Amino acid sequence: MNIINTALLRLVLLPAPLYNKMGVNSRHLKAILGAKLTMDDRRPNTFQQLQRNRDSKPVKLATLVTMLWSALMGAFFLVSFRFGSNNETQLTTYFIFYIAILASVLIADFTSVLIDIRDNYIILPRPVSDKTFVLARLLHIAIHVCKMVLPMLLPGAIYMGLNYNAGGVAAFLLMAFMATLFTIFLINACYIFILKITTPEKFRNIISYIQIFFAVVFYAGFQLAPRLINMAALQGFDINQHQAAWLLPPYWFAGAWQQLYSFSGNARLLTCLALAIAVPPASTWVVIKYFAPSFNRKLSMISGSGAEAGQPRSVATPAVKSASSAYSGMLAGLLTKKGAERMAFLFTWKMMLRSRDFKMKVYPAIGYIIVILFVIVFTKQSFSIQDIRLQNNQGIITSLMVIYFSNIILMSAISQVTMHEKFKAGWIFFTTPIQQPGRLISGSVKAVIAQFFIPIMLVIIICLTVLAGFSILPNILFGMANQLLITAVVAYITATRLPFTSPQQNDAGNNLFRVFAVMLLGGLLGIGHFVLYRIPAVIGILTILSALAAWLVLDGISRQSWKKIISRYQD
Amino acid sequence: MEPVISLKNVYKSYGNKQVLKGIDIDIYPGQVIGYIGPNGAGKSTTVKILCGLITDFTGEVFVKNMNLRENITAVKASIGYVPELAELYDVLTPVEFLSLVAELYSLDPAIAMDRITKMLTAFGLGNNLNDRMDTFSKGMRQKVLITSGLLHNPDIIILDEPLSGLDANSVIIVKELLGKLAKEGKTIFYCSHMMDIVEKVSDRIILINDGAVVADGSIAELREKQGDQSLEKIFAQLTASESMSNAADQLINAFN
Repeated sequence: MNIINTALLRLVLLPAPLYNKMGVNSRHLKAILGAKLTMDDRRPNTFQQLQRNRDSKPVKLATLVTMLWSALMGAFFLVSFRFGSNNETQLTTYFIFYIAILASVLIADFTSVLIDIRDNYIILPRPVSDKTFVLARLLHIAIHVCKMVLPMLLPGAIYMGLNYNAGGVAAFLLMAFMATLFTIFLINACYIFILKITTPEKFRNIISYIQIFFAVVFYAGFQLAPRLINMAALQGFDINQHQAAWLLPPYWFAGAWQQLYSFSGNARLLTCLALAIAVPPASTWVVIKYFAPSFNRKLSMISGSGAEAGQPRSVATPAVKSASSAYSGMLAGLLTKKGAERMAFLFTWKMMLRSRDFKMKVYPAIGYIIVILFVIVFTKQSFSIQDIRLQNNQGIITSLMVIYFSNIILMSAISQVTMHEKFKAGWIFFTTPIQQPGRLISGSVKAVIAQFFIPIMLVIIICLTVLAGFSILPNILFGMANQLLITAVVAYITATRLPFTSPQQNDAGNNLFRVFAVMLLGGLLGIGHFVLYRIPAVIGILTILSALAAWLVLDGISRQSWKKIISRYQD
Repeated sequence: MEPVISLKNVYKSYGNKQVLKGIDIDIYPGQVIGYIGPNGAGKSTTVKILCGLITDFTGEVFVKNMNLRENITAVKASIGYVPELAELYDVLTPVEFLSLVAELYSLDPAIAMDRITKMLTAFGLGNNLNDRMDTFSKGMRQKVLITSGLLHNPDIIILDEPLSGLDANSVIIVKELLGKLAKEGKTIFYCSHMMDIVEKVSDRIILINDGAVVADGSIAELREKQGDQSLEKIFAQLTASESMSNAADQLINAFN
């Protein structure tokens, strides 16, 4: 255990005599908390989870890394003190950041860290009293939240100290405490809501989606907000002028701080103070009183033994083929040869849709790339939709950039499609008599193309034709053919293993290569395309040639021999 | 003699599904009970009730004359439980994990450390005492789990498929260990699917099917009632709705 955990453990065990009086065994308490904190230290933190690697060296000192991250986040929140014309507006922004980030971090930790299903088998069969167990869990949550919250608040507190006085810092910390309570209430409410509308089995998936969503939204916020927002207008913004502010709990905390700091005594700030002091404890009480009992039971089902009754749970499979499988079946028929390739296509298609592992890696990457594309294309000073409509040079460049760089979206999927947590299940490909193993790879590459490339291109086709009319269509098709060619080439070089047969690993070098290759090839082809843009006949012929080349490369992938493929697993 | 474990008319349902339908069992000190039954018969549920993991059952359970509901902590203290799934905190090392368990049984740390080292060394894990268990094989984890159930030298030992994942030599060790524990007067409650081992290690076999006890007695007694055949055959006779050879026929006919 590191020094911070040791110190926090000492701290929460200070009232041990009191615990003993309450009927809690403080020796058990210490043992459980000690083990939990040691485990926390060896677990990748929430910030790293989205990109974590299974095979990397064992995690140590995760606590310190988490705390550094939190402090960094907290420093970022200071941006909010540049917005708005008064303290209430600035602090409202601050608390919005604070609550949103804290919620997004804790929402995942609650299931993965704080409520560990294994406790049921490891701690509960031992002679530990319920009170001890519950207190251990509560203190663990408190310590965990503290480790997150204290560094996060530090930059804010320092800022307060520099700009106001000790009273300002104290009031700030009090409000931060209330905001923390309120965040925990929000997470609980969110959990209860999700459990109401769905089954515990799907729960973890939904939490994952929420995490991905938060990650992408924050990233978009960081990238876009400073570019799109008119700073001058923001600086003059006064949240007090807006009645809707009352709907924002962060506004209450901000108003309450102003009241505590200035003792102005005006009715608006007093109301804020009352709300800020009363609502978080009251909502926490509601959660404990009304929701916690059934909540705990349901939570324990989340990864619990549904096999309790010894019966396989039947997944609702309607007798009629679902629309999704009909769609994938149709695409498989169009794009693949019968046999191994089609099998690999359908297998990869399903795995990509169902594996949480895959989605957690690929979807955020896709989100980030969409954001970057947005930034590149739409935040240029000279950009206007009118250019695309008129198809002047500026408009053509923008259109081509959208078409050519959208391909990067596929790259994380292409790289992940060979990897999986349960990569050992890949024995199935090696023990069956498959004549042309290359077809397994080409099938999975085609599945990635079908699942990601087709929708992206459809969106681009629709958007651009709506803006620029049908005359742009041949050029889009040429761009698409080039995209296919680039994807095929990159897949030929880097997707060299059978689908889902390698352990997760961080191939940062390979990833960089992929992106670089896409940028370079895309850039070159894009420039060529730009030069020929207004010569439809040439574009038409080149489209056919490019598509043919793509097909040849994919065919080349499918012709790889066992000898070649096996050799890649041997190092 | 007073029974050391006594289940009286125990019922338990999950929602609408009744899993235990009136279980009545008395177990005496020093007995080795082989508790067998098909999947979903209610074996694990019985074990979870005995270990105090499930409390919302009806009926009464007494362990060492203590009512389980009223003295749940004292009952847990006298039981050693080895769960079926290899559930352990695998980012810990065996020593860290077992020290936690020892603390929960309020063992003296020095004694605990001594036992942990000796037991793990005996299991051949002497070189892995301070390695994280996330690198361990299934068998190694199972050895740690078995150690965790025996560490506090309990009078009653409940094992749920304790041999899963163990190699042949380790199976021999555990089997001999069970025999020695029984000789010392420990009561052993052994849940398993492995009929041959159950037949060898247990001196009393309880067979449950669909939440009720369908056979109870020594292997000799069961043979007397069901005809002189292996436990495997007796098991099939009492629990299978259709004959096994029918199923096998259907399987082989699938090729035609």
